[in-house]
Amino acid sequence: MSTANVDVSSLPTTTFSHRSLAWWGTLGFMVVEGTTLFIAVVAYFYLSRNYQTWPPEHIVQPSLLWPTVQVVLLLASLVPTVLADRAAYRIDLVKLRQWLFVTLVFELASVAVRWQEFLSLNVRWDTNAYGSSAWTLVGFHTTLLLADVIETAVLIALLFSKRRLDRHYSDATDVTFYWYFLVATWIPIYVIVYLGPRFM
Amino acid sequence: MTFAIAAFQAQGAHSVHDPVSRQALRIHQLGEAMYVTAAVVFVLVVAALLWSALRRHRMPADQQRSNRSISTAVLLATAATTVVLFVFLILDLSVGRAITTNPGKGAIQIRVTGHQWWWEVQYRDSLPQNWATTANEIHVPVGRPVVLELRSADVIHSLWPPNLNGKRDLIPGDENSLWFQADSPGVYRAQCAEFCGHQHAKMSLLIVAEAPESFSAWLSRQRDTALTPTDSVARRGQEVFLGSTCVMCHAIAGTPAGSRIGPDLTHLASRRTIAAGTLPNTRGNLAGWIINPQAIKPGVRMPPNRLGSDDLQALLTYLETLE
Amino acid sequence: MTETSVSSRVDPAADERLHQELERTWHERTGFWGWLTSVDHKSIGKRYIVTAFAFFILGGLNAALMRAQLARPENTLVGPDLYNQLFSVHGTTMMFLFAVPMMTAMGIYFVPLMVGARNIAYPRLNAYGYYVYLIGGILLYAGLFTNTGPEAGWFNYVPLAGPEFSPGKRSDVYAQTVTFTEIAAIIGAVEIIVTIFKHRAPGMSLGRMPLFVWAQLVTAFMILFAMPWVATASLMLAMDRLIATHFFNPAEGGDTLLWQHLFWFFGHPEVYIIFVPALGMVSQIVSAATRREIFGYPVMVLALVMTGFLGFGLWVHHMFATGVPQLGQSFFTAASMMIAIPSGVQIFCWIATIWAARPRFTVPFLFVLGFVVLFIIGGFTGVMIASVSYDQQVHDTYFIVAHLHYVLLGGAVTPLFGAFYFWFPKITGRMLSEALGRCHFALFFLGVNLTFFPMHQLGLEGMTRRVYTYLAETGWGDLNLLATIGAATIALSVALFLVNVARSLAAGEVSGDNPWDGETLDWGTSSPPPSYNFLHIPVVQGRSALWSRTPDKPVVTGLRTDMHEVLVTTLMDARPDSRHLHPRSTVMPLLAALATGVTFITLIFTPWGLPVGGALMTAAFVAWAWPDRESYEEQRLQESS
Repeated sequence: MSTANVDVSSLPTTTFSHRSLAWWGTLGFMVVEGTTLFIAVVAYFYLSRNYQTWPPEHIVQPSLLWPTVQVVLLLASLVPTVLADRAAYRIDLVKLRQWLFVTLVFELASVAVRWQEFLSLNVRWDTNAYGSSAWTLVGFHTTLLLADVIETAVLIALLFSKRRLDRHYSDATDVTFYWYFLVATWIPIYVIVYLGPRFM
Repeated sequence: MTFAIAAFQAQGAHSVHDPVSRQALRIHQLGEAMYVTAAVVFVLVVAALLWSALRRHRMPADQQRSNRSISTAVLLATAATTVVLFVFLILDLSVGRAITTNPGKGAIQIRVTGHQWWWEVQYRDSLPQNWATTANEIHVPVGRPVVLELRSADVIHSLWPPNLNGKRDLIPGDENSLWFQADSPGVYRAQCAEFCGHQHAKMSLLIVAEAPESFSAWLSRQRDTALTPTDSVARRGQEVFLGSTCVMCHAIAGTPAGSRIGPDLTHLASRRTIAAGTLPNTRGNLAGWIINPQAIKPGVRMPPNRLGSDDLQALLTYLETLE
Repeated sequence: MTETSVSSRVDPAADERLHQELERTWHERTGFWGWLTSVDHKSIGKRYIVTAFAFFILGGLNAALMRAQLARPENTLVGPDLYNQLFSVHGTTMMFLFAVPMMTAMGIYFVPLMVGARNIAYPRLNAYGYYVYLIGGILLYAGLFTNTGPEAGWFNYVPLAGPEFSPGKRSDVYAQTVTFTEIAAIIGAVEIIVTIFKHRAPGMSLGRMPLFVWAQLVTAFMILFAMPWVATASLMLAMDRLIATHFFNPAEGGDTLLWQHLFWFFGHPEVYIIFVPALGMVSQIVSAATRREIFGYPVMVLALVMTGFLGFGLWVHHMFATGVPQLGQSFFTAASMMIAIPSGVQIFCWIATIWAARPRFTVPFLFVLGFVVLFIIGGFTGVMIASVSYDQQVHDTYFIVAHLHYVLLGGAVTPLFGAFYFWFPKITGRMLSEALGRCHFALFFLGVNLTFFPMHQLGLEGMTRRVYTYLAETGWGDLNLLATIGAATIALSVALFLVNVARSLAAGEVSGDNPWDGETLDWGTSSPPPSYNFLHIPVVQGRSALWSRTPDKPVVTGLRTDMHEVLVTTLMDARPDSRHLHPRSTVMPLLAALATGVTFITLIFTPWGLPVGGALMTAAFVAWAWPDRESYEEQRLQESS
């Protein structure tokens, strides 16, 4: 069985999605962080078994106003995110910068609302196990949110800078990919932490 | 390389090899069965390995790859492994069921609360005045089921009486129970089996299995309060006790001392050991313990006690009256 | 170069020119700074291996002190406080600082070579992961040497390790050591997975990967799914201790058993994370010793994967004494017994390979034989303790200590030593002494049995774990003395190994490319490999990459030689897909690791560590991501080619 040499000199240097190494790294983080969020949910339900009522007696149920605003905001943020995504695949620098910037604004708004969401829990982290697990679930998602804000901001800066490269278009799709992840993981957390106590 | 277990059989008051209850017996038999099977399989596999490695014949690689009998051998070995494991599983389930079935009414209930680093023991009753509190020693009648209700006052402990049954954890905020039935009299040692801090190593409990009559006699004595001593030295000893820091932690029923922080001393003299099974309960050991417990169990909650020699002797005499 | 090397067969002069170009591009900067800023997987891999072995020695010294204390009843060599720190640090060291990092390190060094890549995926992240691991290890021992070592066991149960019963910072040192090592492990796992998925040489489909690579892949996935559980648990513990959360406080709705579930959901896969890579090492050694492929490759791969999956279904067997419901317990008994099946299958396939193959009794092969014997013993006691009733007798006794050391020392460390003898030539270019190796093996094998076999009996006679002493009347003195003598024997054997290493490094026999006639690509390049790994990336034509090469030896051409350009291939069939530029040496990973260190060490003392450290880490990672002029120019050039 004889095989010829393989010439790879004409292969592309910038790729998207599963062809790109950075995408796999992003996926790896999602797997680990998603698992961690899942663990926090497991702990939340495990601890709820120690109480007759949930939230425990004397604790007010979480308020729904700001958390619901957040959900609406996040779903709305998907629009500029998808548009930025498409612009990246098209290698459209102007549109990409524009829509990423809009996405960043949504992300910042989301962080601002997140502050209110903590207050809406109506319990402190050190009051009891309910407070501890609810704060941890929301808190962990928040650290991911903050990390993504920084990532988005840095990428936008790179796209405006003299150090812009082709790979940054691919990196932009990883940032949007990660944003989808953050929105998707928030929905179940919202349901569990804010709606859940009304049914448990 | 495989030593026969028989060569190491320990006649022990704390050995899995010396079951005195049917629970421990069933477990012991299960263990023996698994051990023998394991030994046989071990010999077979190691023999196969060595024979394969040492035999001189060499078969070409592609012939070996497609050799039917090799594949069959691997398949059979896997099947045999699965069967053996299944048998173990069935045996385990049946033993498990046998030793956890409800002991039924008529079982004696004893509440054991784990502390760092001693065991609080309480025999309850429908009448509170019949409750008996002691420490570090349990008496049970032979031939009757006993249920230990296990709690913890601080961290996780575990009670393990190897001659009588496997272990069960004492978990703060939780309630566990362990039951056994001693079928022959004797003194059996139980050990704390979950790391619980500095003196986990010296937290033992004695289980005394005795004839039902002696058990009843023991229990009724435990229910009594301590008598005021008649002897003058002993009375002086009681004054020393009541006048020093002892009363901050220790209770003696029948005196004003009622603290539950440390072991109840009402019937101290009836116990075989002190310091949770660490030392035999002798006058000399007790003296050393009172003067400086830290030398015997460093880290224990009991502080050293400065006592004049006369006071100490009086105290010891008093404590010896606490049968 | 031998027949099976991967150099081009065409033109020695062209090869020499190519070698010069590649060497110029890929060589590391010399000196300490060059070493510090390296992003070469071989350089990082070597220091990872050495560091992990250093922790093995330290953990062994902890154990030596413990065994010295336990040799006689009521010994006064080591008091309870120090003893409790020693056994806790021993376990933490061996599990978090030696075993997993060592297996990761072997993967970091050998996976890129075995799949035909020039470097590991994410080279800077690789360096970062190592430095974070190193900081974690230093933290633990700084703790021990300042009397602030963890003292509640490597499993650190609450409430003993919680705020109420463990004052001071000992438990926090534990929690953050776990954080550092867990970050490093996850990073190692992600890189190994992506290297295996996307950097395999053309023609190396999944079905043609070496079993060592499969083992590393399965292990990496286990790490991804297991580590977050202990990370979350230790985070919750740190929060309970630092900011008064109540995860484990029963008085406020918390739960003591929550810790155990979280910890053991990690803890059981952890031992398979340690064990599965060793299985891969055994396969490579057996294949070289018998000069044939392992019998039943698809079954072997399936066994590895099944072990990985099943490993997640066993954790409650560590909790059989806690009073969990009986029906649930039975499930875990069944699962814990069933996992013996894939391990058994592997042993049978190795025996099948060896049968009719007249293996060469090299030192690596001796260690493989030793492994089978020791691991079967450990495996059988494992099956015994899978039984709830039996476990309730022997749980938390020296029977378990015996079991775990047979499976870890026998099942993982024994193959590891075999792997050291096998791959030392590849890493250093020199052979280890076979004669000294045989002595090492004999002493080690004897020592392990002498130390740990008596412990089965000790457990059955009532000796519980984690005890700093025992009373003379228990009768445990003689077997304990025997175990201590065994421990000294093990120590002697390891010392012999170190002597062997030192002598070989100084003046060992030169090994050549492929002293064992191995089948994997790492044997197809020089020993040690050049900075660029392979003169030409080979095109793989069969499962045993070297043995299946046809005389025309097809290779990859067209990759740039003036920069760190590497090939990216497709996941299933490894068809060439794109060209990727790897970074050159940089200090950024070290800086980011230091920022990470500051963050988590400060968190031992104050919650302000989070915002302050977070800011530092952000700065470090942004600086890392922002291309400097040189890097920008190079990437621009590559992108336009």
